[in-house]
Amino acid sequence: MNTYIVKRLIFKDWYLNRGMLLGALILGLGTTEAIAVARATTIAVIMGVIVLATIIIGMGAVIMSSPVNERKLQTLPFVMSLPISYIEYTTSKIVGSLLIFGALWLALVLGVVATILTTSWFPHGMIPFVVIMSVEMLASTCLIAAVSVTTESQGWMIGITQVGSLALNAVGFSIVRLPGIGGTMRGATVQWSSTSITILLVEFAVIVLIIAIAFIVQSRKRDFI
Amino acid sequence: MNDLAVEFTGVTKQYKHFSLQNVNLELATGSIMGFVGANGAGKSTTIRILMGLIHQDSGAVKVLGHDMPADQAAAKRDIGFVSEDMRLYGPATVAWHMDFIRSIYPQWDKLYAEDLLRRFDIRKEQRVKGLSHGQRVKAALLLALARRPRLLVLDEPTTGLDPVARREVLAELTAVLADENRTILFSSHNTLDVEQISDQITFIDRGRIIDSANKEIFLDGWRRLRLMLPPNTAIPQLPGIVEVGGSSRLPVLTISHFEPAMVAACQQAGASVQAVDPMTLEEIFVVNVQNRREKAIA
Repeated sequence: MNTYIVKRLIFKDWYLNRGMLLGALILGLGTTEAIAVARATTIAVIMGVIVLATIIIGMGAVIMSSPVNERKLQTLPFVMSLPISYIEYTTSKIVGSLLIFGALWLALVLGVVATILTTSWFPHGMIPFVVIMSVEMLASTCLIAAVSVTTESQGWMIGITQVGSLALNAVGFSIVRLPGIGGTMRGATVQWSSTSITILLVEFAVIVLIIAIAFIVQSRKRDFI
Repeated sequence: MNDLAVEFTGVTKQYKHFSLQNVNLELATGSIMGFVGANGAGKSTTIRILMGLIHQDSGAVKVLGHDMPADQAAAKRDIGFVSEDMRLYGPATVAWHMDFIRSIYPQWDKLYAEDLLRRFDIRKEQRVKGLSHGQRVKAALLLALARRPRLLVLDEPTTGLDPVARREVLAELTAVLADENRTILFSSHNTLDVEQISDQITFIDRGRIIDSANKEIFLDGWRRLRLMLPPNTAIPQLPGIVEVGGSSRLPVLTISHFEPAMVAACQQAGASVQAVDPMTLEEIFVVNVQNRREKAIA
């Protein structure tokens, strides 16, 4: 594995997305600040959460669509003319997309958690739910990345983005009914129950599985352009 | 040391509606090969196999001594590739692209790149999306040339250019080629472009290599003989007649291996030779393809 060139390709994608990332970061952190300033207005909190979820899901889809765009915008022949193998290209796309998206995701998640912890009226018991839902969004984004890099198809990517959005709602509605999560959400202190830790571990295992499957599929491909 | 830059041996690739069949191709180091075929003939498939972007179903491909596609990353360190369907990153400037390529290729020649910028009349501060198609092709050529590749692969780089831009690109390319001693594979369906810069020609049609030789052998060997036959005189039996056209009294023979002695042979057979016309590469290509297709049907 030529890690130097993989790094160059990741840096290229970072450079090409930097303006959009900065805009999303400013909008996201501004929204968390607005939620804090709104002082327990339910509608403001709901609106803020919707904006944050939209930023994370939207930016995830945009960043993960990089392999589709390389094909659609016909820059793939340029990239593949460089001294790389297809596995190195795949690595740069998956690792790079996750690093680029991960930086934005981490900043926004930490921003939300910090807002909850520093705002007196926000129940701190929300934090496990927020973290689980955030990791679910990360898993959905990994799925989009895997589908994007293996199919290079916009249709498949749009479909899987919609599935991811529906799954987010389903997971949210499901886990909030679990006593280990829903029962402690309105508490003043953070409580990491065995249920919430198990769900988090499952989510991370799914992320690893998705990435592994993407690499296996890519390593079996014979035609790349 | 192997003096072949590219070597295809019995390469096949099967698709649902197209197949590349038993392709054998040799490109000697230092030569410039024009790879000519109609649209859909298999030029791009062959070139993509050469670049390791498509895996052949069978056969062996060696490029600069590397087995393809297994050693594609190593081979591509010394290959400059520009294709008709290749685009650069629209939001980035030409300068950014130059820095990006320079960071990957240690042999990047900065002075040569600056010289090419001037010759191609490109401002490096300009974003790629603001360039015309002709300028984008020139920018892609610059990025390929300034990395000083041992092998330059150009897949229809002049396709889609307006006549002025095409002439500019070819003129610059010809000037660049005159300075360099590098191996080049240049594919096109435009025989005028190929004739201008190549010293070897390979014709491909329907997934098969139908002819491959030195350009001068093609241009010197192919002739049209315009004859006048007296009544009841048969067309002279000459070797290498590919096509017989014209009328029974004024036949036109297309010959693939012309020799001056054939004129005397025609006269001895009772025919009067009205003219011996040279043929353009396009005429040679078209007759060659038609002849092979007719033979395949028969």
